Amino acid sequence: MRLRMFATAVLLIALAIAAASATGASQASPARAQADALTVWLMGDAQANWPEAVAAANQSFKSQHPGTDVNVQYQSWGDYKTKFEATLSAGSGPDVIEFGNTDVPKYSAAGALAPLTRSDFPNSGTWLSGLTKAGSYNGKLYAVPYYAGARGVIYRTDQYQQAGITKTPKTLAEFNAAMAKLMKKFGGSKNPTYSAVYFPGRYWYAAMSFVYDYGGQIATTKNGKWVGALNSPKALSGLTAWRNVARSFSRANKTGDEAHPQQALVFAKGKVGSFVGNGWEWPYALDPKLGNPSLSNKIGAYPMPSHTPGKYMPTFLGGSNLGVPVTSKQKALAADWIAAFTNTANMTRMATGGGVIPNTTSLAKINAAKPTLAPFAEAAKYSWFVPSTPNWANVESANVLQSMLSGILRNPSKTKELATAASARITEILNSR
Amino acid sequence: MKDHSAVPLAVEPAPAPARQRRRLQAGRHVTPYLLLIPALAVIGGVLGYPLFRLVTLSFQEYGLPELIAHKGRWIGLDNYREIFSDRWFWTVLGRTIAFTAVTVGLTMLFGTLIALLLARLGTFMRLLITTGLVLVWSMPPVVAVNIWSWMVDFEFGVLNWTLAQLGFESYAHHDWFVNPIQGWAIITAIIVWGAIPFVAITIFAGLTQVSGELVEAASIDGANAFRIFRDITLPILKPIFVILASLSVIWNFQVFTQIWVIRNARPEDDYFLLSIYSFVESFNTSQYGLGSAIALVMVLAMLVVTFVYIRQMVRIGEID
Repeated sequence: MRLRMFATAVLLIALAIAAASATGASQASPARAQADALTVWLMGDAQANWPEAVAAANQSFKSQHPGTDVNVQYQSWGDYKTKFEATLSAGSGPDVIEFGNTDVPKYSAAGALAPLTRSDFPNSGTWLSGLTKAGSYNGKLYAVPYYAGARGVIYRTDQYQQAGITKTPKTLAEFNAAMAKLMKKFGGSKNPTYSAVYFPGRYWYAAMSFVYDYGGQIATTKNGKWVGALNSPKALSGLTAWRNVARSFSRANKTGDEAHPQQALVFAKGKVGSFVGNGWEWPYALDPKLGNPSLSNKIGAYPMPSHTPGKYMPTFLGGSNLGVPVTSKQKALAADWIAAFTNTANMTRMATGGGVIPNTTSLAKINAAKPTLAPFAEAAKYSWFVPSTPNWANVESANVLQSMLSGILRNPSKTKELATAASARITEILNSR
Repeated sequence: MKDHSAVPLAVEPAPAPARQRRRLQAGRHVTPYLLLIPALAVIGGVLGYPLFRLVTLSFQEYGLPELIAHKGRWIGLDNYREIFSDRWFWTVLGRTIAFTAVTVGLTMLFGTLIALLLARLGTFMRLLITTGLVLVWSMPPVVAVNIWSWMVDFEFGVLNWTLAQLGFESYAHHDWFVNPIQGWAIITAIIVWGAIPFVAITIFAGLTQVSGELVEAASIDGANAFRIFRDITLPILKPIFVILASLSVIWNFQVFTQIWVIRNARPEDDYFLLSIYSFVESFNTSQYGLGSAIALVMVLAMLVVTFVYIRQMVRIGEID
């Protein structure tokens, strides 16, 4: 009996020691490594489209600060905010993080980002105003402009030619006529899955352009409170115009979006005449593994025309900003890395290689000179942006616009009801604490 | 039923000194609990502490500013009041209950049918089917749902392609999730497909308890297969059915991964279940207090079912 109890006690003590040493060992090493390395969270886009810029930034940073390694971790758009909030809770996270520009206000308003000094960064005098506004809050800068994206219509020049479209459309009416010609030539009963313009139902970035083109807005402010405005007469005209385009000329998934599957890849498969895409989607359609490289001399782009002659349809000014979380223990080093990454040389690399709009107007010449970039830079002359309030990110997370749009495509007669319901939800979310 | 308390006294060796006898009994009672301590410590740490945090969070306002400051704001039952007065919560709760009922019912039905089939097959076919069941069971849910998602894909899915080849032209470009009934049918198929192996194999093991002579005697007396199942098999298997049903209810009530992945992390309102509602409130709108309250409501709902399950387990232990 005594022996059995003794053996049990020894076993328990051994297990306890093993457990303690296991946790102890795993905690020791990462702490030592973190003191030396700068952790940078960038989106997978950087790895795919301008890896040379990342490498150049790392090199320049290493020469400035020889003792510090740079650890770049690539994130995905779907879950990076959840991961970031988890690090906020833990008190340790990345030193530099890339945000979509519509997401920054939520975090800068909550105090998750460290304030930055504008003059520390290159070209800060000529930054794009849209990106700078997204990255600032209450007069302070919280996230440095990284790059911008504007959308234009990317199209198959050979299909347009065969359908008898001689010039790119300059008004919405001409656009609709051109789409009808494409559907007549390539679509209909011969090819029921052909889309003259591929427009997935939840592609709100492009659909809301119609609303802004007709003078509507997503939300307005009244007496300091936000009010959803998608059911105003002007917004409804825009939604109706969009609905007609999507239902008549698109055979894309009514409940799908532009990324599942990637619309550039669907375009590359050949059964699509045009689609509304970002500058980087043009080279992506020509990707040797996923796209169709043989289309390289059969693709063009033009700004989406407005229903008003002489203007373009406002394009969503997307883009990213780089911020330094308040949990970072190396804020000065983080700012140095951002400065190294967003210098003129790297901006030039991103524009020419990656097909995005650089963060400064001083490089606008590059945009105009490159045929694959010029149409998008041209389209950026007329742009719109989401309501600048910290709660906007929650509207995006709650899928209000996406659900409304796919609902309108499925039940066109219920457009007004769906818009009213969506406006009510936007009002509720934007005004919540 | 044996009286356990009577047994030790009956087998005690007769002339043992009083002090030694007391130490003997004390030692036998303490050792099991000592051995349980490591397991309880792990469970307490991994499950107990988060549960405690969940409960405390549900009574606090805990948004993004509170997350950064590591300090919540006590608001008592406000989160619960907000949930229970929200019509959307009751809709989602009702849908979750209906979904659980349908999936558990189908799982038990098909699991039982497959188990009965396995009992009648020859060795080779039985091995083949059991291997198939185990392969399904061992596949990680995320991997499985991704493949299912591709099969029902709008643009490039094999299901649409097959239907188009068979002559149903309108299905060439069919979005299975536009109509919630079709969408739920697909999701139910995925859940039931993943849940059948465990149920089928467990019931098959239970069927070995049904003695062959009893079944033979019944069939000689003129009972058909259905009556044999209802009057002989079912009563013997009842404890196992109760356990499997309870477990299935607990698991299916919490289904999250399959719906999240197949709707590309942005489920439409029609596809919200309680687990998704809780996650969206917590992580998408960063209202961790509200999300915790919803999760706690789920836990309490499941406590009822858990009670049934544990009571059945204890009953089986007593029979042995």
